[in-house]
Amino acid sequence: MTAALIGFALVLVLVLLRMPIVFSMGLVGTLGFAYERGGSIFDERGLKAAMSMVGRQITDTAQDYGLSVVPLFILMGLFVNKGGLARELYAVSNAFLGHMRGGIAMATVAACGGFSAICGSSLATAATMSKVAMPEMRRYGYADSLSTASIAAGGTLGILIPPSVILVIYGLLTETSIGKLFIAGIVPGALGILFYLFAVRYTVWRNPAAGPAGEKASWSERLRALGSVWAVLLLFFLVIGGLYGVFDFEPLNLTFSPTEAAGMGAMGAFLIALSRGGLSFRSTFEVLKETALTAAALFAVLIGAQIFSNFVNLAGLPEALIGIVTAYDVPAFAVMLMILGIYIILGCVFESLSMLLLTVPIFFPLVTSLGYDPVWFGIVVVVVTEISLITPPVGLNVFILKGVVGDVSTGTIFRGVTPFWMADIVRLALIVLIPTIVLFLPENMGAMGH
Amino acid sequence: MKPVILLARRASIAPVVLAALALFILMVMTFADVMLRSILNAPIEAATELTRILMAVMVFAVMPVISARGGHISVDLTDPVFERLRLHNLRDGLVHIACGVMMIWPVERVWVLAERWRSYGDVTEYLSIPQFYVGWFIAAFTAITAVVMVITGLMHLFAPRLLERDL
Repeated sequence: MTAALIGFALVLVLVLLRMPIVFSMGLVGTLGFAYERGGSIFDERGLKAAMSMVGRQITDTAQDYGLSVVPLFILMGLFVNKGGLARELYAVSNAFLGHMRGGIAMATVAACGGFSAICGSSLATAATMSKVAMPEMRRYGYADSLSTASIAAGGTLGILIPPSVILVIYGLLTETSIGKLFIAGIVPGALGILFYLFAVRYTVWRNPAAGPAGEKASWSERLRALGSVWAVLLLFFLVIGGLYGVFDFEPLNLTFSPTEAAGMGAMGAFLIALSRGGLSFRSTFEVLKETALTAAALFAVLIGAQIFSNFVNLAGLPEALIGIVTAYDVPAFAVMLMILGIYIILGCVFESLSMLLLTVPIFFPLVTSLGYDPVWFGIVVVVVTEISLITPPVGLNVFILKGVVGDVSTGTIFRGVTPFWMADIVRLALIVLIPTIVLFLPENMGAMGH
Repeated sequence: MKPVILLARRASIAPVVLAALALFILMVMTFADVMLRSILNAPIEAATELTRILMAVMVFAVMPVISARGGHISVDLTDPVFERLRLHNLRDGLVHIACGVMMIWPVERVWVLAERWRSYGDVTEYLSIPQFYVGWFIAAFTAITAVVMVITGLMHLFAPRLLERDL
């Protein structure tokens, strides 16, 4: 166990020296593995065993069939975005919600939710929506604190509402069903939107000047706005519905594996963008290129994490933790609270993916041995990670916004984010106390057609 | 030095095109597989093994480009400190060189694996594509990545200006 803790500390040092995560985790994982096998990091037999583990990890991960969901879902998000989805979603939400007090901020939250149904990344959601929504909220005289906060918070939904890149990574690290994880993310994601809407209402109730009402859209305007996004909504329904088993009836008998759902989604998004004339040969290439670069970086990081995780397991850290918990007879719930506490603290400093990669190999065996559901824990981890995205001092989404908007201080954004942060804590408590909220849908998956 | 770097950037488009092509084929193939299976009940039997190969091609083809651009996922928490102390180029140089050097061992290992596949005559199930081609491809591109990282590291140390985008 000591070796694992030293290894963990070393990874932290290397990572803070800005060594890419793949190399930090890969190097420490390899040497640690050799140490565990041979008794010293210079032992020849140990190093040989470690290297053969590394070689297999590299060739296996690169050719893992299940991992093909990663590039395909990223591709889907980028293609849809080329079709101008963000602007259209915002127009729809605005047509329905804009006339209420704080309504334009509420529309922002709703549009973020819709956008994250296609896009798997929180940072991308926040960056895209801030370009679309910020000018509009400024035009209606919204307080900077409210408008930036609603985008920063709304953006965090990107990693929970399926498809989510983070959930795919969690699923692969823990061998949990990615399909189930996606389906499990739906209700907590919807709750997230709802609670954020309350947070906006609370803010304008405290200070009505922060979010004046916009103009009321007529029903014909609303329907016209809706008409521009129906194709994408249909695509989302097809992809997630297919995953859930909605089409699993005679004579169709169609249930998608995550890879198939992602392939259908990507192709559908490509066709939608193509039919709207939003794609040239050049922009198609740009989208493919960006996807390949993003996906390959994720694959690399995953290889590093798996090498490290092999070492941590060999060193017996999970067993040691389980041993401590049983020896001192710590109640499962107290352990869970401690883990959540650790995540919130780590989240103040680390970006979500790094945090997940570093912690899941250690906590996951402990949590499952305590009888918690792996799908449920995945959702909890992602919700905690979302919270960390807007927690001072390093809430990443806040900095993205600061980068795009420019003339607003991070202090202002963090002040505005407070009600949203509280809403997140309430949601986290709900999910932790009532696991059924998360588990109801995945447990009934594939049962619709029968 | 400048023309060499411009040439390297020009050349880096080739593997990116290869990766983009692999990804596009992967998308169309997955779509076609689902369609054929559900409508004609005739799935593409080789889809799984082709998916594996296309993924390996996509991932490793762009690895040198990612490494040269500093595109690996990393934590930039201490950046302001290093920049204030003007040590960031020293740090990036040493880190890149270290990463490049430590990749020698995985390259060698993957090469050994590929040679083993070759001697066993391992082929894919439906199309009988020899496995060792994929192994060679991964080993070759990991090796290129290693070289690229060492060179990038040296440039951080001795000629950081050459790394600027708008050269």
